[in-house]
Amino acid sequence: MSETLYVQLLDLACGGLLLTAVLVLWRRELAVIIRVFAVQGAALAALVAVLATREGSAELWAVAVGVLVLRAGVLPHLLRRALAGAGEARRETRPLVNVAASLLAAAVLTLLAYAVSQPLVALSPSAATQAIPVGVTVVLIGFFVLVTRRRALSQLVGFLLMDNGITAVGFLTTAGVGLVVELGVSLDVLLAVLVLQILTSRMRETFGDTDLDELRELRD
Amino acid sequence: MNLAATGLACAVAIGVLTALAALVVPARSAVVGVGTVLSGAAAMLAGCAAMSGVSFVVALPALLPLSGMLFTLDALGGLFVAVTGAVAVAVGVYGISYTRAPDLRARGVQAVLPLFVVAMVLVPAAASAGAFLVCWELMALFSLLLVVAEHRRRPEVASAGRWYAVMTHLGFLSVLIGLMVFVARAGDDSFSALRDSARHLSPLVAGVVFVLALLGFASKAGIVPLHAWLPRAHPEAPSHVSALMSAAMVNLGVYGLVRVGFDLLGGGPVWWWLLVLVLGAVSAVYGILQAAMSTDLKRLLGQSTTENMGLVLVGVGAAGLFASSGNRTLAGLALVAALLHVVGHAAFKTLLFLAAGSVLHATGTRDLDELGGLRPVMPVTTAAFGLGALAASALPPGTAFVSEWLLLQALIHGLPASGVAAAVAMPVAVAAVALTAGLAVATFVKAFGVGFLAKPRSAAAAGAHESPVTMLAGMGIAAVACAVLALAPAVVLPGIEAAARVAGDPAVSGAVTLRLTGVTGALSPVLLGLALIVAVVALAGVVRVVATHRVRREARLWDCGGGPMSPRMEYTATSFAEPLQRVFDDVVQPELDVDVTHHEESRYLVRAVEYRRKVPDRIERRLYQPVLRFVATCGERGRVLATGSVHRYLGYGFYTVCGLLLLLAVTR
Repeated sequence: MSETLYVQLLDLACGGLLLTAVLVLWRRELAVIIRVFAVQGAALAALVAVLATREGSAELWAVAVGVLVLRAGVLPHLLRRALAGAGEARRETRPLVNVAASLLAAAVLTLLAYAVSQPLVALSPSAATQAIPVGVTVVLIGFFVLVTRRRALSQLVGFLLMDNGITAVGFLTTAGVGLVVELGVSLDVLLAVLVLQILTSRMRETFGDTDLDELRELRD
Repeated sequence: MNLAATGLACAVAIGVLTALAALVVPARSAVVGVGTVLSGAAAMLAGCAAMSGVSFVVALPALLPLSGMLFTLDALGGLFVAVTGAVAVAVGVYGISYTRAPDLRARGVQAVLPLFVVAMVLVPAAASAGAFLVCWELMALFSLLLVVAEHRRRPEVASAGRWYAVMTHLGFLSVLIGLMVFVARAGDDSFSALRDSARHLSPLVAGVVFVLALLGFASKAGIVPLHAWLPRAHPEAPSHVSALMSAAMVNLGVYGLVRVGFDLLGGGPVWWWLLVLVLGAVSAVYGILQAAMSTDLKRLLGQSTTENMGLVLVGVGAAGLFASSGNRTLAGLALVAALLHVVGHAAFKTLLFLAAGSVLHATGTRDLDELGGLRPVMPVTTAAFGLGALAASALPPGTAFVSEWLLLQALIHGLPASGVAAAVAMPVAVAAVALTAGLAVATFVKAFGVGFLAKPRSAAAAGAHESPVTMLAGMGIAAVACAVLALAPAVVLPGIEAAARVAGDPAVSGAVTLRLTGVTGALSPVLLGLALIVAVVALAGVVRVVATHRVRREARLWDCGGGPMSPRMEYTATSFAEPLQRVFDDVVQPELDVDVTHHEESRYLVRAVEYRRKVPDRIERRLYQPVLRFVATCGERGRVLATGSVHRYLGYGFYTVCGLLLLLAVTR
């Protein structure tokens, strides 16, 4: 693979990551959000695949396939199943911060991520490390989704966005965190999603809703 | 592998295997008991080998990320390993039948006991700050689990556990910060690197390290004013655990202080050791005063631990004082006295706690006012407690007498030896030690006389029974150790002198008669004991000879005309301590409450008098209550932040992360 092609493919994958993260903020329809999240998983897998081709490493290819299966296949499927049981609440009707403000916040977060990652990039400037701000942005946007969205399901997506971002930063900085580590992290994420899914369904059974602000009365 | 390394490895391996076995084997009590004994015996062997000069270094880089773990055993560490091992042997034997009670039989409680012993054995063997701190924390956690073993039966246990958990972790934090400051200056966390870098340390940094370490170690040793956990946790823990904690764990506070102060920092300015000396003297007097007022048998023993650790710190402080003024012989003498007291205290406190556990096992109460009359029904336990009380009360021929005599010798001879600070401190310290010794006699006469002799004052005491044979055997081991230390302290002195080499030169010699090398003074415990026996026998003989020449007349015992003697006429622990309480009224400030009920017909006729006395811990009330109130107020204020909204909590995290990133981006 030529240098230009590599850089372009890398940028394309990173652009996909960033765009999908912003789309998650923009759309309110939960089903759409899940679809966007699946696309982001595919973009992440593509990113890893590009790096794998560059390195010519079979192990990294295996990781890419694993990421694709987990983040574009298994996790969206689990989310969709949770959504199917959700009944009425299929829309993120009243986010704590409205969509326009969210998009502006995302822009600010992107700038912040860019400013913060400069020392990391300066350590060893290369095409891969130049893309670190994208990963950091995805982490921050994920956190933002977690803070501002009411539905348990969109919070779950926010949590997964953060994880996607962390994984992306991991691959961009070190070109692979080792198969075992990646496997462990993936398993953790899967478990977290399963637990949260159960929690969501229990919440619905108990309160008839998955609005997390209903939990306010549980303190003390 | 030499003997020290093999012994230590065996102790750890046996301890861990025992813990695993306790989880699966049905006959847990016996397995844990035997395993603890073997583990303790191996540790004792390793410690003795280390004291005789065998040493080793083991590096385990894979055990702890970044720094790795480093273990070694020198004479000082060996002494404490041996003491811990010996206590574990007695406790293990005792525990075989003691832990048959339903709460103590629980799988978890049984498995933790050998692990606790292993952690305590590893603390003095650690040779790097990382290893030391990990073992220290393990020791604290395991002991905490054991303290709360009986939490289902008594609600006070939970409160004691909370106090202990908070205090021990604050102490750990203090040691952690102190050692980390030290390590940061040295660049490496092995003790040898710390030792090398101590010379280049600025006085300020060295002072900070020492004071932080002193705070942490003093809280573990139960030194005033950080003693609040001790009289709570020791009584509420199961008795064999109390023995381990009081006889082995608190010693490690002293170990840490000696290790950091003398070995790693290489001594220091006079004010360090004056601080230690003053803390020690205050603890000794305050601890024994509280014990003298106490009516709870195990609480009394716990407060006596504060007293004994205070005496040890007086010795350590004096040793530091002499060392910093260049008198290494006296420094050696003072440290030998302190370490001998550590060993002696371990022996008699094991014995006393095990005997107290036996009483608790038989009667179900620790209240001295409700005991009494145990001698006919529990003869062995009574003899054991009597021996322990004699050992603890610094009278010849007692175990504590030898070490306190050495300590007094060091203090008295130190007067002309050093500067103004010592000239002021030494007489005061002598007075404090003497007062402590006197009060200790009163305290243990009370504990033994009121608790075991005369007539039973409650149904529980009347229905007592002697404990099973393994419990008696455990007490027997500790009793033999007490007797040996009292009559032939020369057996352990070479090892202690080797350990005291960190501060000074050897100062005591002789096998039967102990001779001090630097100063004039000699003591022969065996001959002293013999002389006492001869005197008693001679006196008894004379009385008998004189008495047989008189005409004998049988008469009823004088009972003040109040009819036959009843248990209500006896001294109780409260009444026995009353004169002392009057003398020290301003210090202890007891809360007295007298209720007099009159007959309905005439108020000149008294129907009943109810007398209640509570001796609250003044230091605790003055020092801890304001802090606790402040924390509670902060908590109340903090509730504003916690509204219960998940989004708000997540938002705190988000804004903090963004704020930090912004700070990073701006300040870079």
